[in-house]
Amino acid sequence: MPNTPHISRRELLRGAALVPVAGALAACATPAAPPAASSSAAPAATSAANPFGVADGKPLEVWIFDGGFGQDYAKNIHQPLFASKYPKVEIKHNSTKEITKVLQPRFAGGNPPEVIDNSGANFIDFGALSQDSQLQDLTALLDAPSWDDPNVKVRDTIDQSVIDIGTYDGKFSVLGYVNYIHGIWYSQKAFKDNGWEIPKTWDAFLALCETIKKSGKMAPFTYAGKFPQYLYEPLLTMAAKVGGNEVLVNIDNLEDGAWTTEAMKTAATAWAEVGAKYLMQGTTGLDHVQTQTAQNKYKVAMLPSGSWLENEQKTTTPEDFAYGMFPIPDVTGSDKMPYGTLHTQPGENFIVSARSPHPQAGMEYLRAMLSKKAAGDFSALVRTMTVVKGATEGRDISPGVTSASAAVAAAGENTVYYRWFNWYGPLKDEAIAATGELMSGGLTPDKYLERIQKKADEIKNDSSIKKYKR
Amino acid sequence: MTTMISWTVANSRKLARSERKRRLGPLGILTHLALLIWTLLVMIPILWTFLASVKSEDEIFSDAWSLPAALRWDNFARAWDQVHIGQYMLNSIVVVAFSTFGTMLVGSMAAYVLARYPFKGNRAIYFLFVSGLAFPVYLALTPLFFVVQNMGNLPLIGPFIGLNTHAGLVLVYIAYSMPFTVFFLSAFFRTLPTAVGEAAMVDGASHTRVFFQIMLPMARPGIISITIFNILGQWNQYQLPLILLQDREKWVLTMGIADISTAAGYDQDWSAMFAALTLAILPMLIVYTVFQRQIQSGLTSGALK
Amino acid sequence: MLFNRYRRGLFITSFLAAPVILYLIYVIAPYLQAFYIALTDWRGVTATPRFIGLENFQRLFGDSKFWQAVTHNGALLVLLPLITIVIALFFAFLLNVGGPSGVSGIRGSKFYRVVFFFPQVLAVAVVAVLFQQVFRPDGSGMLNGPLMALGADPIGFLSDRGVAFWSVLAVMVWQAVGFYVVLFSAGLASIPKDMFEAAQIDGAGRLSLFFRITLPLLWDTVQVAWVYLGILALDVFAIVWVMTLQQGGPDSATTVMAAEIYRSAFGHFRFGYASAMGVVMFFFTVGFAILSLRLSRRERIEY
Repeated sequence: MPNTPHISRRELLRGAALVPVAGALAACATPAAPPAASSSAAPAATSAANPFGVADGKPLEVWIFDGGFGQDYAKNIHQPLFASKYPKVEIKHNSTKEITKVLQPRFAGGNPPEVIDNSGANFIDFGALSQDSQLQDLTALLDAPSWDDPNVKVRDTIDQSVIDIGTYDGKFSVLGYVNYIHGIWYSQKAFKDNGWEIPKTWDAFLALCETIKKSGKMAPFTYAGKFPQYLYEPLLTMAAKVGGNEVLVNIDNLEDGAWTTEAMKTAATAWAEVGAKYLMQGTTGLDHVQTQTAQNKYKVAMLPSGSWLENEQKTTTPEDFAYGMFPIPDVTGSDKMPYGTLHTQPGENFIVSARSPHPQAGMEYLRAMLSKKAAGDFSALVRTMTVVKGATEGRDISPGVTSASAAVAAAGENTVYYRWFNWYGPLKDEAIAATGELMSGGLTPDKYLERIQKKADEIKNDSSIKKYKR
Repeated sequence: MTTMISWTVANSRKLARSERKRRLGPLGILTHLALLIWTLLVMIPILWTFLASVKSEDEIFSDAWSLPAALRWDNFARAWDQVHIGQYMLNSIVVVAFSTFGTMLVGSMAAYVLARYPFKGNRAIYFLFVSGLAFPVYLALTPLFFVVQNMGNLPLIGPFIGLNTHAGLVLVYIAYSMPFTVFFLSAFFRTLPTAVGEAAMVDGASHTRVFFQIMLPMARPGIISITIFNILGQWNQYQLPLILLQDREKWVLTMGIADISTAAGYDQDWSAMFAALTLAILPMLIVYTVFQRQIQSGLTSGALK
Repeated sequence: MLFNRYRRGLFITSFLAAPVILYLIYVIAPYLQAFYIALTDWRGVTATPRFIGLENFQRLFGDSKFWQAVTHNGALLVLLPLITIVIALFFAFLLNVGGPSGVSGIRGSKFYRVVFFFPQVLAVAVVAVLFQQVFRPDGSGMLNGPLMALGADPIGFLSDRGVAFWSVLAVMVWQAVGFYVVLFSAGLASIPKDMFEAAQIDGAGRLSLFFRITLPLLWDTVQVAWVYLGILALDVFAIVWVMTLQQGGPDSATTVMAAEIYRSAFGHFRFGYASAMGVVMFFFTVGFAILSLRLSRRERIEY
């Protein structure tokens, strides 16, 4: 290469001289200035029937995460219901599997859509949205009359935990629509055929694993090894059961040493033993679909999951499989929380964008979703409970939902949840990576907890990350 | 493969041949063996994908190498319906055809001027282009979205080159292909002899004519190889269209494939995913095999020196 | 004369106008913006990023995960070109001068060249999805199926920390080799045949043929290959992001700079921080480019 280019200082300087020219053009790249929210979002007249002031002739844009529940529920259940009341509001329905990639630029550009089902693996960080006041305050929705009965407020038709968990910066702004119930899932048929009993204590659980292993019929336990968050869920629930709800509260609040408490050590040690002895071969490399399908084929007896499982597996589940779910067994004999304690958490998170042109219609759309008819039809279609109280009354529901509902009834007030993973993305990634290592024996329980604690401390001391309290 | 060359040698052919055989002979089998192994390494994963595309869900999840009990062509029907592979492929073809043509036209013009016309600021512009090779694309994604959005607000042409337009994507592809194209084409133009062009200039030909009628044809091998690179690169592009095209009807092929492989995690239609993979792979292999002579000679005809 | 200069200037301007304008608008402007974003705490969804100076870079300095990613890019930068070039040279040599006469190509060399090139025409995303299936850790995996049938334990190609990085490297080599076989073949074809003959008459075997003639004369092409593969190694994203567990795992065992940038931006919504990583990555790449240009000039061999 006789003419190989070489960079001399003079040329670099000349290059620098060009920069201002490009700088002028760079103005094109600046995010648009925020629109004057007040003028565009001015509500039309409100009334009891139209509590937020939906304006006729102004469209409503809805984006649905096209995942385990598909998008038909929105098109065939929610939107017709809304349209029946507001025929002059055009509904622009959209769906995607990549919420972030598609909608993040629109937020930054100042023209987000009204309603977003911000779910799936790639949802937009709620903390970031809240920090930048992109979330419409939904308190008005809570205080509005419910769709079905003008004398009952929306607030009273849903579980309190929905409001707690949906509150960011003191404002209720995220509506979890589906009530996810976490537990250990099994086939009622397989358990009955083999004479296996649901274990009430951890020792009984380990004994059951041993029995299943020795029987040679199937592996005792598996989890979505590619996504270890499926396993830190029962681990954290167990820690809460052993040490009480404050274990999780402290973790959420980034308290010093929250991850390294005795309760956490007990739980980590318990699950590390399962990881060492009772996992289905290849677990660490399989995803949720593959492990769940293995269970459907009676290759493995139990796995931790949530109440979306039954719908997710509907195409591969044998007719007589009969999903069942049991809670975390008693661990120490002196657990702070009783047998039956459950981790329930609202999911499928709907938000209304504060800076969208028509947030009133967005709130009204959510109000329609929370009607008994919409919620009941939804449950029937996708075999999952919603957060609307009593919406499945008098309807035929599937064995899995029945089993989960019974567990919820038995748990009563003893339900727990955690929120740190939604607040602190880097902490979630660290916990995922470390949990995978714990289960494959790469980390001892002590080292495992120390490692996550270190990350939690790092985040606590990072001034650029906004902190939350519960 | 005989001894065409040995007639230059003074020794008797026979002697030379047996002599060579003694040195090289046993390696012949090993040579074939090595080549065969790599052939298998390349072909087996691809063939295995084809095999899985006609299996049922159950068969995919049981034994990896079992043959399907029946050929499930309906997998392809589902892949075709869900992914609209036909539509996406057409979109890809249209976009890549225009963008590659544009890239080559504009890129060769820039490369030629930068390679052959010394002027103040020449090197600066050259390095501005070449430094683009070092930019990680992910960095630019969000600002780029705003640029394209703002372009959409221009009077008259705005609606054609804004977000969700193929023309807008074509312009972006052209811009992002510049660093590579300018870098290699200008290196190529520099190696071409100057005499012909100068002679034409003396005869009164314009600079433009010299470029289009003399230099461009002379640079043909280089142009072909860079064209192929750009086709491959732009055909495979995923990040840029993902943020710039939101309407499903506008999507390009890579987006469809990524979509169905994500979807497989939710709908659990793995057999359709394999079918879609096959639909993405097979046309490329066929096109390549048909044109392999041109492509291979194009790729290697000197532009890479 | 003056008219000619004017004509020349007009020509230069008209030829450069379109490419430069397009490039400034669509490439330079967004990147300048990105460099500025690196100095802010922008979270990607607001219109008003806050300027925080070099804070992101200070934080980056202590981010062990990012430096782990840099290490992996560094390892790839050495290993990917080395392995790919060695394999490709080997096959190119066999295909072109490996024939029974020792100077011509062997039987079927055309076929091999076509097949070897196949992986190159597949989209990287397609290759990543494909190998995810190939590497499945149970009996349904293309590789583990036969292994388990033979009674061996399955290998966690993607789930075993010690193995995952090598799986990524193997896929990258798998995809790249064919192209360089073709590239080197062309280089070999341009070497005059009589050089081989002369060497053979001198009694050179295959090995010495390769080291005494092939390699030195191909040195230029090898260097081009090195630069290409180096850029590929620094730029790698889709293979890691789509194929590996936890997008760069398990436990960051395969993560690379591009994956960390993407994760920070579109996963954690820290666009400012991600841009700072991108700026660092930019300087690494520029550094590599300058270094390789320098080296290539020094070691040039003429023929």
